[in-house]
Amino acid sequence: MTPCTVTTGFFTLGKCGVMAVAGCPACGRALCANHVTEGGLCPECAAARNQVGHPAAAAAYRRRAHRHRTAQEYSDAGWYVGFDSYDRAAFDPGAGADQDYLDDGADALVDS
Amino acid sequence: MFWREQKAALAGFHPLHQALVHERGFAATQPAAGWAALVDSLYRHAGLVKRRKWALPARTLDVVVPLIIELCSDLGPKGTLTVTADLRGRDVPGKTGPERQLAVRPPIKSATEAWAVDPWLRLRGELRDGSILEILVVDRERKRSIRKRNPRGKIKWKRKSKLVQTIKVRRRLPAGVVSQVPATPPPPWIGTFVREGERCSVLAAAKLTRMPQSGQEQVDRILSVATEPFRWTAQNRGIA
Ligand SMILES: [Zn+2]
Ligand SMILES: [Zn+2]
Repeated sequence: MTPCTVTTGFFTLGKCGVMAVAGCPACGRALCANHVTEGGLCPECAAARNQVGHPAAAAAYRRRAHRHRTAQEYSDAGWYVGFDSYDRAAFDPGAGADQDYLDDGADALVDS
Repeated sequence: MFWREQKAALAGFHPLHQALVHERGFAATQPAAGWAALVDSLYRHAGLVKRRKWALPARTLDVVVPLIIELCSDLGPKGTLTVTADLRGRDVPGKTGPERQLAVRPPIKSATEAWAVDPWLRLRGELRDGSILEILVVDRERKRSIRKRNPRGKIKWKRKSKLVQTIKVRRRLPAGVVSQVPATPPPPWIGTFVREGERCSVLAAAKLTRMPQSGQEQVDRILSVATEPFRWTAQNRGIA
């Protein structure tokens, strides 16, 4: 099963993890049925294009705007960069902040 | 639309939605799905109910709802969010304390001062990372009435009012999680107090002497203060 790698949460960051049914045509990340927005885009890519009709895209837009605004307010650049790299890690295998999904137990056994 | 139809629509709304209309507040604890049902119900209000007497109280759609939506995305599957909203405003009976005489000198004849205290929003969420988040927003108004003699010898009354808002946010970290001092201090208008112990807690507090001028600004202020306790753990910075 390929899990959906859309970022969830506002203050607590997580990954959706529900079974993916599609990939985002713009960034390639795996998407569950609930996270496919207009034009098949993931919520982050839709938000980046100001397409916020889908609730998940609107939430992604608000979360990113909040991180950006508070990183400036706190003069804490890492507060935004950390979030951004966490979000991007989802479709950049190996750089993942949450490696659980990438752990393929069966393959590991074959390799050793 | 006739009032009869609007009344019927009102009766079909979520119970907490009805409490907002009739009592201008509510207190409830429920998981994210329950809050989503309330928000759906509130979004249908404007299309179905026009009568001013049954309007939603100020701060419902532009402050309370956005905060509920963001915090619900941080709840675990079993976690609940408690919301205590009192949107009656600060002028209702019981919110103004006793009047106190102030020391005066001529030409002021007398002056009294009273404080109205309005804790209009309290939130408590059991977040999916194991932490507990509490938010408290209180408006305070200092009301002074002054009696003074003007240069022509006439006695005049003057009223003065000053409004301040305090926002306090406390996050109790998950058991066993240690705090990390963030790289930068918070902006000067936010104070931070850390209590170490079996469960570390980070309290961020702010006192606004200029009241937020819009719902969006109010939400931003609350979320800005709430950000500080999350900067104290690596996980919420995007570093797992
Ligand atoms: Zn995408
Ligand atoms: Zn998903």
